[in-house]
Amino acid sequence: MSDQFMRIRTVVLWSSLLLVPPAWGDVLVRWSELSVPPQKALGVRKLVVFWGSNAASAVRRARAQGYEVYAELPFEQAILAAELISRQPVTGMIMDRGQGQQEELDSTLRTLRSAHPKLAIWLLDSNGKQPQMRGQMIATRNGMLQVSSPTAQPWLDSNLPAARFEQEFHPDQPPLYAFQWEAGDSVEQANGPSAEDYSLAIAEAGAIHADLILAVDEKLQKGLLENQPASWAIWNKVKQHLSFPSSKLHGSLQPWANVGVITDNYEAAYEPMNLMGRHNIPYRVLRATSVAARNLEGLDVITVFSRPDKQALSQLTAFADQGGTVVLVNLKGTYPWQSAQPVPTADHALSYAVGKGRVIELAEPVGDPETFAQDVRRLIEKDKVLIGLWNALTTIAIPYRNLRSGEILVELVNYAEEPLRIQVRLKGSFASIRYESPDQACCQLLPPAQRDGFTEFVIPSLYIAGRVRLTPAARDSRSSTIH
Amino acid sequence: MRSSKPLAAALILLSFSALPAIASGPASPFVHRKKYAMGTVFEMVVYDASPAHASTAIDQAFDAIARLDHLMSNYEPNSELTKLNSSAKLHSQMVSADLYRVIEQSLEYSHISGGRFDVTVGPLVDLWKAAILGNGTPSTAQQVAVRACVGYEKIHLVAPNQVAFVSPCLSIDLGGIGKGYAVDRAAEILEAAGIKTALIDAGGSTIYAMGSPPGQTGWLVHMRDPSRQVDPTIVMSDESLSTSEQTPPSLLATISAGHIIDPETGVPLKTHFAVSVVARTATATDALSTTLLLLGPEAGKRILAKIADTAAIWITPQGELCTVSTGPAIVLGHQFRARLPGVVGLHRKGCE
Repeated sequence: MSDQFMRIRTVVLWSSLLLVPPAWGDVLVRWSELSVPPQKALGVRKLVVFWGSNAASAVRRARAQGYEVYAELPFEQAILAAELISRQPVTGMIMDRGQGQQEELDSTLRTLRSAHPKLAIWLLDSNGKQPQMRGQMIATRNGMLQVSSPTAQPWLDSNLPAARFEQEFHPDQPPLYAFQWEAGDSVEQANGPSAEDYSLAIAEAGAIHADLILAVDEKLQKGLLENQPASWAIWNKVKQHLSFPSSKLHGSLQPWANVGVITDNYEAAYEPMNLMGRHNIPYRVLRATSVAARNLEGLDVITVFSRPDKQALSQLTAFADQGGTVVLVNLKGTYPWQSAQPVPTADHALSYAVGKGRVIELAEPVGDPETFAQDVRRLIEKDKVLIGLWNALTTIAIPYRNLRSGEILVELVNYAEEPLRIQVRLKGSFASIRYESPDQACCQLLPPAQRDGFTEFVIPSLYIAGRVRLTPAARDSRSSTIH
Repeated sequence: MRSSKPLAAALILLSFSALPAIASGPASPFVHRKKYAMGTVFEMVVYDASPAHASTAIDQAFDAIARLDHLMSNYEPNSELTKLNSSAKLHSQMVSADLYRVIEQSLEYSHISGGRFDVTVGPLVDLWKAAILGNGTPSTAQQVAVRACVGYEKIHLVAPNQVAFVSPCLSIDLGGIGKGYAVDRAAEILEAAGIKTALIDAGGSTIYAMGSPPGQTGWLVHMRDPSRQVDPTIVMSDESLSTSEQTPPSLLATISAGHIIDPETGVPLKTHFAVSVVARTATATDALSTTLLLLGPEAGKRILAKIADTAAIWITPQGELCTVSTGPAIVLGHQFRARLPGVVGLHRKGCE
């Protein structure tokens, strides 16, 4: 073996290692008071403080209480502040990306990581959503109630689309986001978020395999510091959920999805992705420039929101030719499949037969994401639907698979924050189904029912967070029936 | 309970205006809560000097809604309605006061509408559900067989609490009236708790406005407008509003089915209208909104003209509209009025 080949192989190996996503599901607590309760009492390891005038003192106190401390600051200040921060007893620095351009952010990250190799430096999306079940009315500070939803079904504010987008565009870092609590009514303004609200945020971050900076309300911080029983009663409930997501459990899990979303434009694809998530249609995001055959494996439907280049077009055509369905959204142009006779399938949609599959061109943006998501579900052949839930309009279920063992793990989040009995149907044949949640000790065995290539089971009571582990039936464990 | 209006959101833009008060001083406190029930999000906003009292009253009202959800569900195997559907075809069945009352009221709207509102249409809805899911249109034979199971006149009520079906395959689905009934019961509970000012919203498709927000004459409600041009509003006090519209068409595939089935034809209703109706009770508006969608503006106007204190507006995505009122005033948006020189208030295409 030549030296040159060895060098190339070494470079490839190191590149691969660098691309392995670090552990995810961490909850970092954002703390604004100067003092902080001991680390063991709070039940979190990582504390975030804003980098400001009192930050150095806050950092020292937090370190003394046993925390790993991270300094948070706007990305624009990062270069100037990094040297000073690196001299503090901090574990890392978190840059709020704000409105920064991607190239600029990436360049700053490289510069800082190179200059401060001992400092963990992460990028933060502070525009996350407060996870919640939203109704038709929103009470705001000035007393206005506004429409938020174009459907009468529960509208879920979820960070799943942002996480999936980040996982594709920044695979070297788990998605890290934060959100602001909405003001709410007079009770919420007086008391701050409830234990359930905190728990839901933690549960969602764990379920979507992202890291979260959880802002703790100032009143609750003060109450915890003053040892008020009511404050600790809230936090002790929250702690149950803090200990539930555990990255140690899921070494080689990958999102299990059969719908692809090709997009370089988050805004254009956000609502369709949000509604697909809400309808439990598992999807993966692909950037337009990374459409290669291996990235399309396992997909049955691909929705395209960004103009594909020549290479991507060729891959999409081949995908359709082999039986897949491609949906181009508002991407007018000349495409290879247009030599076939188009069939109008809806007011603004034309379908072209391509080999065993088809390409559908939607000639307008997605105006009704709810209908679009239902359409995508209809485009998946019945026997290829990965997961279905009944009595679960407020629940998002996110399936993952262990590529080595064939085990499937389904993370569930119930945004209604009230116990629900949920029926689940999963593609494949599974011998053992174990259910765990923060509310009960691990694990409850759920009886499976096998039907037409699917496994059905019932979760008796899902409150906020739940996790189901499914072990493939013995005969399927090597050559799994799932793809 | 199965929702009969999953896409019939009123899309209500509400201002419960403490606005002037907030601008000039402290506002009356309000409590805003949400709860998932009947396949949608119920919301309540209550003004009260004591937020704790408001919260307790809301909890009681939500408990009542949850109880009614369980009672009227045709999804839960142990609900009272499910049991009635399985046993009333064999012999008359004693039911709770609530179930009797809601069935009795639904039959009133069946009579008023000449059968266009019909709580026995469930088997047809189920039949067409498969088509909505993209699994093809039911055969004529299937449709004929199922239509034989439909008909409100096959329900017999014996006061005070007995129900019998004069058909071996009849079943009741309260999706077209149940949410409204639950909203009315919730309003009663709030009132009994001493609450004077509240708004109850059942997923946007039915709301009830109790009293008036501080400093206001009523609750300003922006109604469903598929055209996004008309912006109809109404100021409501001790009134309800419901909205119905057919499932929007598929964006990618040719699917003609929708969730609202016309009992007269046995097939999904074809209409571009969204209809909003105002009346004194939520039970009335819930039932009437479906009825008026099925009837269309012309026949719908004739029915509503006979009912005091009601109003309705039909709007298409193209901005065609029609209104009728025996009391409540629906106001059209300034921008829309400005675009119709010479027309005072209403653009009546398709109305007469």
